[in-house]
Amino acid sequence: MIFREVEDRDLIAKARRGDVDAYSILVSRWEKRIFNYLLRLVGNREEAMDLSQDVFLKAWQNLKKLEDAGRFSSWLFRIAHNEAFSLLRKNRPEVELTGDPTVADRGPRLFPVELTLAVERALTRLSDDQREAILLKVYQGFKFEEMAEILGCPVSTIKSRVYAALDLLKDTLAPVGARGVQ
Amino acid sequence: MNCSSIDLKAYVLGELPESEKGRVAGHVRDCASCGEELERLNLTHLALASLREEEAPRRIAFVSDKVFEPRWWQRMWQSGPVMGFASAAVLACAILAHGFIRPAARQQVAAVDTAAVERQVNAEVNARLNTVVTQAVTRAVSDSETRQKRETATLLAAAEQKYELQRKYDLAAFQSNVDVLRKQTAQMYMASSGLEMRAQ
Repeated sequence: MIFREVEDRDLIAKARRGDVDAYSILVSRWEKRIFNYLLRLVGNREEAMDLSQDVFLKAWQNLKKLEDAGRFSSWLFRIAHNEAFSLLRKNRPEVELTGDPTVADRGPRLFPVELTLAVERALTRLSDDQREAILLKVYQGFKFEEMAEILGCPVSTIKSRVYAALDLLKDTLAPVGARGVQ
Repeated sequence: MNCSSIDLKAYVLGELPESEKGRVAGHVRDCASCGEELERLNLTHLALASLREEEAPRRIAFVSDKVFEPRWWQRMWQSGPVMGFASAAVLACAILAHGFIRPAARQQVAAVDTAAVERQVNAEVNARLNTVVTQAVTRAVSDSETRQKRETATLLAAAEQKYELQRKYDLAAFQSNVDVLRKQTAQMYMASSGLEMRAQ
């Protein structure tokens, strides 16, 4: 991870001087994570792909504004967050969790695809803010402080969103998780 | 330790410092309700972690977009080999331009019609062959005629010479005969005149 950060710093420094090849390597390193983050957030592959392109384009155009190269990942996810929520606000109203878990009872063991579908369904029932908090925390591994920087919120707000989302997911996914690992 | 002071979610999410982790782990071993809650949170985390990352349907394509490309003069300026190549290219262009501009005979390279050329060559070869053959035949005929004329002349000359000799021989023989006859005639005349004189 240390080497990766050092290499990223080097690539960022080169990209800031207009080195397209260096930026291309950066894109190849981060595009999968950004795409998956956007995909879970907007729920549509094509939209996620288009957003990914926009994210990396804006990152390139604003790379010189990045003061600390060590914060590249937070900065990149900040751009992705802005792009995604701009689209979500335009496309649909806020979707809140209805709180009617459908997979609450223990049953026969789930196949991986069923587990995946259950997780995806549970994630869609979260609010956009809660889902994003889970995506950044669980899938991208950011610390609360980094998430606060990405989302532009106090750490307490971030923590509140993550905990609320976990409570909701726990009711739905704990039984599913138990069946999935039986 | 009070259950309300235990942050199980932070424990599951890896947000607690090492010192806190040990304290929470110890509490969970002793508290059944917190143990069950921790199990549910772990199962939830496990279920969430089962969601695999998906591959992007395609690579981020705008790396080749124009907006990413430095201007041509920037690329050229930044590249020593390209600058060297460009200099060589300019020099080559100058040489070529000089070659085209100078007032030398310009050769227009037209498209070659091989069939027409072949036809032309065949016609030329045939014409030359005909000429050579005709000349050879003419020369042979001429030589033959000359030779025949020469042989004829030789034969004629030999025949004339032969006939001339024959004529001379015949003439000489005739003359000789005439002389003999004249002598005989003269003798006869003499003889006859001698008789008359005797007769008188």
